[in-house]
Amino acid sequence: MAPQQVKPVGGFSFENYTRNAVLETKGAKPPKATSTGTTIVGVIYDKGVCLGADTRATEGPIVADKNCEKIHYLAPNLYCCGAGTAADTEFTTNSISSQLELHRLSTGRKTRVVTAMTLLKQMLFRYQGHIGAALVLGGYDINGPQLYTIYPHGSTDKLPYVTMGSGSLAAMSVFESKWRPNLTREEAIAIVSEAIEAGIFNDLGSGSNVDVCVIEENSTDYLRNHVRPNERGIKEQSYRYPRGTTAILKESIRNFVDVVEGDAMDMS
Amino acid sequence: MSGIGTGYDIYSSTYSPDGRLFQIEYANKAVENSGTAIGLRVKGGVVLAVEKLVQSKLVVPGSNKRILSADMHVGIVSAGLLSDGRYIAQSARDEAKSWRDNYRQPISGKSMADRLGLFVQAHTLYSSVRPLGAGTIIGTYLDGEATLYMIEPSGVYWGYHGCAVGKGKSVAKTEIEKLKLDEMSVQEAVREAARIIHTAHDEAKDKDFELEITWICEESKGKHTAVPKDIVEEAERLAKESIKSEMDDA
Amino acid sequence: MSLKPGEVNLGTSIMAVAFNGGVIVGADSRTTTGSYIANRVTDKLTKVHDLIYCCRSGSAADTQAVADIVQYYLQMYSVQQDEPPTVHVAATLFQEMCYQNKDQLSAGIIVAGWDKKKGGTVYNIPLGGALIQQPFAIGGSGSTYIYGYCDSQYKDNMTREECIEFVKNSLALAMSRDGSSGGVIRMAVITEKGVERLFVPGDKLPVHWQG
Repeated sequence: MAPQQVKPVGGFSFENYTRNAVLETKGAKPPKATSTGTTIVGVIYDKGVCLGADTRATEGPIVADKNCEKIHYLAPNLYCCGAGTAADTEFTTNSISSQLELHRLSTGRKTRVVTAMTLLKQMLFRYQGHIGAALVLGGYDINGPQLYTIYPHGSTDKLPYVTMGSGSLAAMSVFESKWRPNLTREEAIAIVSEAIEAGIFNDLGSGSNVDVCVIEENSTDYLRNHVRPNERGIKEQSYRYPRGTTAILKESIRNFVDVVEGDAMDMS
Repeated sequence: MSGIGTGYDIYSSTYSPDGRLFQIEYANKAVENSGTAIGLRVKGGVVLAVEKLVQSKLVVPGSNKRILSADMHVGIVSAGLLSDGRYIAQSARDEAKSWRDNYRQPISGKSMADRLGLFVQAHTLYSSVRPLGAGTIIGTYLDGEATLYMIEPSGVYWGYHGCAVGKGKSVAKTEIEKLKLDEMSVQEAVREAARIIHTAHDEAKDKDFELEITWICEESKGKHTAVPKDIVEEAERLAKESIKSEMDDA
Repeated sequence: MSLKPGEVNLGTSIMAVAFNGGVIVGADSRTTTGSYIANRVTDKLTKVHDLIYCCRSGSAADTQAVADIVQYYLQMYSVQQDEPPTVHVAATLFQEMCYQNKDQLSAGIIVAGWDKKKGGTVYNIPLGGALIQQPFAIGGSGSTYIYGYCDSQYKDNMTREECIEFVKNSLALAMSRDGSSGGVIRMAVITEKGVERLFVPGDKLPVHWQG
C-alpha cells in the first residue's frame, strides 16, 4: 500500500530540506542572497560628520541598479551607510529607524548616536552574523559629531574616519594619505567624494555616482548624486533610420464603425 | 481592638479609614505570644539567644532547634509562628545560595536583611496570603564585621546593636540597653544573653524552657555555630546566681 | 569556538600587572579582518566600573557584547548595594558569561582593577571560562612570545614607574613578533585615586633587537 499523503495545514514546509542537503553534498550550489559590492565612508570634521556612498547595486556579475541609495535615514540627525547583503541593510536600518522614532516620541529628546549604535550592534550580535549588514553610522547629538562602523557580527569601532565595503581599501588609501584633523565642511565633502571615487574607479563592485550626506548641529543635507563621474557621453553616431527607409507596399485606411440607433427588437 | 467587627481587618490588603492594616497588627500580636529571642552585636562577633518554651515533657531536650543557619556566616532566629520563622529561614537560604551562585562570595548582612525585608513585605500585599507572624533576627559576621538586623511582620527592618522580640521583649530591651555592647567580647555577650533570657522568662506564667545560644565570631572560625555546651552551662549558672542575688537584695 | 568567516578579530597582545598601590592594564591597538587592519588605534581596554577595567582578546563582537552586559550588571550592583563592586565580583560575572556560553564565544579576557578589600587585583579568564587570580596576566595571540620575558622580569611590589616600563617593554616585544598585534600601546593605571590613561605612539615604542 502506498504511504498516505498528509495534506499540510499551514506553517513552514521543510520537506525539501533533506533533499537539498544531499544535493549540496553532491556539489550543487545553494542560491545566495544579493550582496552589494560597495564603497561607503564617513569622516568627522570640525562641526559635523560627512557620510559618502557609491550608487551601484550588483547581483553577481550584473549591475542590478545603476543609481541606488545606500545612505539610509535613521533619524533627522542620524544617517547610516550600508554595505553587505542589500536586503539586510535595508531592513535593519528601517527597523532601527522605527524603534528610534518611537523612542523619541516617548522620551521627547533628540536621538543620540550611541543609542542607534547600541540598538544596531545588539540586534546584529543576536543574529550571530546571519544578518549581513556592515554599516557606517554617523550623526550629531549633544556630544557633538560621532562616527561608528558596525560589523555584521555586532562589533563596533569609533574612529574619526572610516571606510567599509569591497571598495573600503581603495577609499581608505585616500583617507590615510589626505586626512588631517579639523577639516572644514567643504574639505570634508571633497575628501569623502574623492574616497568614494577611488572605490568607484578601482573596485569592480562599486560604481556610478557619489551620494553624500552632511550632518551638522542644526542641519542635515542629503546631497544625492553629488558627483556624477560616469555620465553617459553623446554617441558619435546615431542608429536612427531616416523616415522613408522602409518602402510602403500597400495602404488601407478604415473608419471606425458608427453604431446607429436601430428599431426596437421584435419581441413577439 | 477598634478594628474588630468593622470589616477592615478581613484582608491584609485593606486599609482602615485611619490608615492602619489590622492583619499586620494581629501578626505582631502573634509575635508577642512567643518565647523571647535576642541578638547582641558586640566587638568581634554576634550572639543569638532564644527562650525555647518546652511544650511537653515528651519532647526530646535539645531537639527542634530554634536558631537556624542560612549560610556559614548567617544566623537566623525568629519569634512568633515557628513555621513562619522556618519559612523565612528557607527564603534566607535561597537568597544566600543565589548570591553565592551569582558572585562566588558570601552575602552581606545588609543585602540579606534587604532581600528578606522585601520577602516579608510581599506577604502583606495580597488577599491570597496572610502576613507572616514572625519577628526575625538576622546576625552575620563577615571579614571581621558583625551585623544585626531585625525584620518585623510588616517587612520593616532596622540594623541594631542589640535587639529583642517575643513575650519578654520589653524586659530584655531594658537589660540590653544597660550593656556597653561596643566594648563587650563575645564571651561576655554569651553570659549576658543567658542572663537576659533568664530574666525575661516569666516563671509564674510559663512552662519550663530551654536556653539556646549560638554565635558567629573568630572563636567559631567565622561560622554560625551553637555555643559549646560547657560555656552555655557556665553562663546559665552565673545567670541564675545573679538573678538570685538580685531577688535576695530586693 | 574558532572565529566565524568574516568575523572581526582582536589578534592581540594584552596584559595586566598588579603593583604597589594599584594595577596597570595594557594592550596593543590592532583589530583585523583576515589580513586587513580594520582599526589601527583600537582601545581594547574597556571600563566596566569606575576602578575596574577589562582587556579584551578574541572576537571583537563577542568581547564587546560580554563587556557591555557585565558593565550593566556592575552598575546595577553598585546602585543596589550602595558600594562599588570588588574586582572579584566583576571577574566572577565575566567568568559566568564566558563559561556558560563557551560553545558560542571566543573571548579571552583579563579583568583588573582596584578595590578596598584587596587593592590592585588581576584575574585571568582564558578561552574555556576558567577564573584564575594572578599577580600579573598576559593574553592574546602575541602573549605566547613573551611568557619567558615576563616570568624573568616580573617582581612583586613594583613601583608605578617600574610597572609601566615592564608593561611597555613586554607589549612592544609581543607586538614586534606577532603579526596580528601592533599599532600603539594603550595603558591604564588604576589606583585608589582613579584611573590614568597612558598612550605610547607607534613610533615611540621601546626598541629591542631588530636583526
